[in-house]
Amino acid sequence: MRHKNTGFLIVLMIPAFLLLGLVIFFPVVKGVVIAFQNYNLNNDLSMVHFNGLENFKAIVTDTNFNFWQIIFNTLIWIYVSLFFQFVLGLILALLLRESFRGRGIYSSLVFYPWALSGFAIGLIWAWMFNGQFGLVNDLLMKFHLIHQNIGFLSDPKFAMMSVIIVNIWYGIPFFAIMLLAGLQSIPKELLEAAEIDGANSVKRLFFVILPYIKATIVSTVLLRTIWIMNFPEIIYAMTSGGPSNATNILATQMINKLMKFYDYGQGSAVGVMIMMILFFFAMFYLKVSGAKEEGAA
Amino acid sequence: MSKTTYTSLVLEPERAARSAARRKKAVFTGMRIFLLALYLAAALLPLYWIIATSLKGGREIYTYPIRYWPQVLTFENYAYLFKISNFHVYFRNSVMVSLLASLGALLISMLSGYALSRFRAKQIRLLFLLAMYFTQIIPAYMIMTPLYTFLAQLGLSDNLLSLFVIYTGMMVAFSTIMGSSFFAMVPVSMEEAAQIDGCNRIQALFQIIVPLVLPGLAAIFSFAFVNIWNELFLAVMLMSSDQNLTVPVALNSFISKAGVSWGVLSAGIVVSLLPTLIVFAVAQKYIVIGLTEGAVKE
Amino acid sequence: MKRLFLIALLIVAVLGLPVLAETKTLNFLEVMTSPERTVMIKDMIAEYESGHPGIKINLISPPYEQADQKATLMLNSNQPLDIIEVRDNTIKQFVNNKKLANLGKFYRSWKESKTLTPVAMMAAKTVNNTLYIVPQCIFVKALFIRTDVLEKNGVTTVPATIADLIKTCEKITDPSKNQYGFAWRGKSSEMKFADFFASAGIDDIKKDALLYSETKNYFTDSRYIQGMKAYIELFQKGAPKDGINWGFNEQINGFVSGTTPFLIQDPDAIPLIDKMLDPNKYIVVPVPVGPTGIAYLDYGFTGLGIPSYSKTQSQAWDFIQWMSSAEKNGYFCEHYGALPVQSTAFTTNKYFQGKHYAAFLKEMTTTSKYIFRPFPQSSAKWPGWGSIHEADMQSILLGQTKLETVLTKWKEYWSK
Repeated sequence: MRHKNTGFLIVLMIPAFLLLGLVIFFPVVKGVVIAFQNYNLNNDLSMVHFNGLENFKAIVTDTNFNFWQIIFNTLIWIYVSLFFQFVLGLILALLLRESFRGRGIYSSLVFYPWALSGFAIGLIWAWMFNGQFGLVNDLLMKFHLIHQNIGFLSDPKFAMMSVIIVNIWYGIPFFAIMLLAGLQSIPKELLEAAEIDGANSVKRLFFVILPYIKATIVSTVLLRTIWIMNFPEIIYAMTSGGPSNATNILATQMINKLMKFYDYGQGSAVGVMIMMILFFFAMFYLKVSGAKEEGAA
Repeated sequence: MSKTTYTSLVLEPERAARSAARRKKAVFTGMRIFLLALYLAAALLPLYWIIATSLKGGREIYTYPIRYWPQVLTFENYAYLFKISNFHVYFRNSVMVSLLASLGALLISMLSGYALSRFRAKQIRLLFLLAMYFTQIIPAYMIMTPLYTFLAQLGLSDNLLSLFVIYTGMMVAFSTIMGSSFFAMVPVSMEEAAQIDGCNRIQALFQIIVPLVLPGLAAIFSFAFVNIWNELFLAVMLMSSDQNLTVPVALNSFISKAGVSWGVLSAGIVVSLLPTLIVFAVAQKYIVIGLTEGAVKE
Repeated sequence: MKRLFLIALLIVAVLGLPVLAETKTLNFLEVMTSPERTVMIKDMIAEYESGHPGIKINLISPPYEQADQKATLMLNSNQPLDIIEVRDNTIKQFVNNKKLANLGKFYRSWKESKTLTPVAMMAAKTVNNTLYIVPQCIFVKALFIRTDVLEKNGVTTVPATIADLIKTCEKITDPSKNQYGFAWRGKSSEMKFADFFASAGIDDIKKDALLYSETKNYFTDSRYIQGMKAYIELFQKGAPKDGINWGFNEQINGFVSGTTPFLIQDPDAIPLIDKMLDPNKYIVVPVPVGPTGIAYLDYGFTGLGIPSYSKTQSQAWDFIQWMSSAEKNGYFCEHYGALPVQSTAFTTNKYFQGKHYAAFLKEMTTTSKYIFRPFPQSSAKWPGWGSIHEADMQSILLGQTKLETVLTKWKEYWSK
């Protein structure tokens, strides 16, 4: 009986994997192979051959773009963005739980940042964060919060913070919507029972609400970690990794190698590094979060 | 006197407690309104700037000090948007591809997401789950060239149908992962009950379980729609003919060697936001429906 | 019998018609796209098609920022293309991969090839001294000046030398009033600006074919160091600090808003600025010269080539030749905002003698003062050099690294 059950479930997964195979699994093999070749558009591509780990070595020992600084930037970029996106997204979801007049319009208006493309967000915010004639500086001056323009994107002390703020601004709606959808599945009786038992709202949040939507939290956090790591658009449009590598992350370095150096071998090597880091992280994360036991609720 | 004492003894604390609760509630409501307003302001600042820019003529865009609202209100950027390019064609293409691909991904992931949430064997479940997450960790740039070469060799580039299939594929993993997390909240007993009532398993899935996770499915749909609606890179590389272009491609074309055409680009962004706002508003209705009372009692 | 006749007629019609009206379709990929430019090219194609029945030209116009990559993808997978726009930073890799046809044989029978400007001829032969393209647009830099802003600050003269320019910028700079001098370029191709300032003092480059190369470069030459020091001083005393992160948009923003009344830019900035600013508020003059009275100018270019695998090369050439005539090329560049490639266009088309274009014409004709030296675009060190330069330059301006350290590093990079 159990065996039959598994067979049926696997059949249900066939359409998904057929499509994924065609669109992702099949092409990625070729993409990974390039990482181990001297595939450079400036050479004659008919002479491409395998060069072992040369590309990886070149990336790690690059004297122009310090690899460890890039790794450090990547970690900051991911974890600071993720933390605030999650916390602020959760608060927004909780605020939107109870109905109020105009909630539909309100949520459309706070969710729209997610509906902008990365390049548009980067361009607009780069303009707003301009250190000379940017809107943000102008507003801060008007409210007398600062007395001198801040070089949000040109000062290495502020640059990373600025791009992260934009990323947080962009990512809050994802958590808000997904967590809100999760919150709606919590049976009212469960919360009422907790209230009768004398649990205050903080206790209800941590001992009833969050555990109930754990599956949603686990998947959204992992998905976002992965997506933020692979999201170079904002940084690329705002600082292109500068000033002086202060905002250079693995994903922007990959684009740099592909689009500026035309070195597809090294670009793909960075891509493979991103994949390996994320793969091991995902395995570790799923194990620790115990997601695999969520199945039969 | 004795009566008052009685009242003050018995009724006063009750009244005090009630008014304290009321005060507490007022504080909560006040805080809630304040926070909601804060979120709204932070979200709207860039939108306001885009709209203001879209209503400015060329002479007002780069003025300093900054003009927070155009001195001369003009709709020329909007007129220009539809005049300079076949924007209505791109708009139609984008709506079609985004709707069909996100619905396609949703349908496929109802099956796979449900299945993923029901595997009893941990190892199998983890394997499938990792395979799904694996598709997400791949940088888009890495599959671009192989995917393009493959389609070009088959003569399938510059074809909206290819774009639809690829976008569906791109959204399947996300929809499956999120879907499975929502399906996991529905107890197995629900479908067992349905099966006893004579439903087969597919019927049980679509008639009993899917309605229960409607909020989640609505959320998934709206995200898939928005992600596809914004997809630029694949659309640029795969589509060539003017009649096959999509909105993000058209918007990006307002960035040239001579910089960003802010007026018309802002107008384009405003127009391109409308469908996604509608999708969010409609989806939101389903997201907050919640479960019918008692539906999930074990 | 009647039916049989009709069927026969139908068969003849179906088989015969395509033969009679056989049209050849040419696919044309442009890369320097903007919506206005695409509309213009479409109009020109329509004009060409009406004069050449049997030819249909299908224009592909990807957005500018992704266009080069799309061109690479299409060429490398031999997609149907017959005419392709090639630019300074892609020509090398297209040739390396044998994707461009040698146009030498077509040039020989083309009368107007004799009247191409010297710069256009240099551009055409960028790689291996072989004619792979017919240049269409040339981009050369000149100095844009907001005369109204300068007057307000008590400056009435136009700086003729780099030293003058720096001095004027320092003089008018007053951060408390948000007034600066130079529209600094700190990112994306910023090295073109640094190289302009730093190389102007070096006489010897005159004798070289390139501004610098693996065989000869001046990064540690004392004159180069002097030039760089002056350029850095310009940043510190005459430009906004935020300039470190400025690209093209910010430069234009600074110029139009009046914050930075000096701008060094290509001619395609003219139509753009004219939309945002009263054309009487600014002038365009030749770039300032260095201490020895000369300046080295690089040039950007875009041209049309034919993919080596195209089966309709002679038809493609006919169209390219038509586009490259003094009349058509002049019309095209006038509206797009580039310098034409036919020397006759400067004399026959009044537009290029106009107020804002005269400076470019002067630069192209005063060969004793303005010397065109291209970047080493066909060197293997060239791709990515811009990103390395950008990160290093930002690091110098931020005071994180010493100038000398970076210059030694550059020297090594180019000599290794």
